[in-house]
Amino acid sequence: MSLILQPVRVATGSDEEGMLVFAGDRLVAVLVRLTDQHAETGLAGHWFLETGFGVLDRPHEATFPDLEAAKGWVHARLRDGRGGAGGA
Amino acid sequence: MNELKPLNSSEPMPSPQGVHRLVQKLESITDLTEAERQGLLSLPLRVQEVRADQDITREGDRPTQSFLLLEGFICRYKLTQVGKRQIFAFHTPGDIPDLLTLHLKTLDHNVGTVTACTVGFIQHEHLHELLRQQPRLMDVFWRDTLVDGAIFREWMLGIGRRSARTRIAHLFCEMTTRLRAVDLVDGNRVPLPITQAELGDALGLSTVHVNRSVQELRGDNLIEWQGGVLTVLDWESLKAAGEFDPTYLHLSGSHTVP
Repeated sequence: MSLILQPVRVATGSDEEGMLVFAGDRLVAVLVRLTDQHAETGLAGHWFLETGFGVLDRPHEATFPDLEAAKGWVHARLRDGRGGAGGA
Repeated sequence: MNELKPLNSSEPMPSPQGVHRLVQKLESITDLTEAERQGLLSLPLRVQEVRADQDITREGDRPTQSFLLLEGFICRYKLTQVGKRQIFAFHTPGDIPDLLTLHLKTLDHNVGTVTACTVGFIQHEHLHELLRQQPRLMDVFWRDTLVDGAIFREWMLGIGRRSARTRIAHLFCEMTTRLRAVDLVDGNRVPLPITQAELGDALGLSTVHVNRSVQELRGDNLIEWQGGVLTVLDWESLKAAGEFDPTYLHLSGSHTVP
């Protein structure tokens, strides 16, 4: 199943550049790009799974160096129909 | 966490540096007689230095000794099947984090170091002997474990029902109050040598959410937190942000007002 990304602003108060992730016409996740305020933890510029739905709706701590990595992870979870520890 | 490997150990010796914090800790929640105080200070301890991020006792262990934390920070935690960690207690000098093994023979969680620590192992037989000589200390230790239970309840309320910002502000207030009770707070500077990831594991938050909330608290000029030291800039506002009411810590006398 192909994933479609749609840019969005997310009202997190800080990391607002986001992407809605659709699998077909279904929203499965919201990603946000972490700003420089995350430099201390080495995550500035990475994409963070702000929230997920369905099989992605589990306590994840998932961050990805780029959108391709994020898409790969979402794809794998949807294919396997499971959550699990993830992120790069 | 890695297996515990001793760096340095010595024969049992009475009253090494830091043992007075046990008395300080217990006196923060109750009164002690001079004989009880002396009994505690005379407990034979086998002192050992332990590196950071080491397990001291593990789930499934059946220890014949407990340990008094003399220096450093300890956490108690469990792991899910896929290896996600939930920390459910931080311990500070003066605590005996695994006191419960005196009566619960099989440990049901892990106890590990957060920072490098100095610990003093106490044989259970020596604790039992002290309790035979000073039976009122049973009430004191019971009270101590009841306070532990009160802290668990407060953490459960936070993890289940409070926002990330409130949880973090609450933990900052709790650690400040507990560390002040054992005289480890210097003015408004509180030793808090834990990482944001450890804070997240304790509060059920991602590192990202921890960092956002810490930045918010910084931005509002409530705290500064760097180099393992929390500086409380505005105690009243931090308490309000954390919905912090210290009643659950059951501190007595001079320790009730931070």
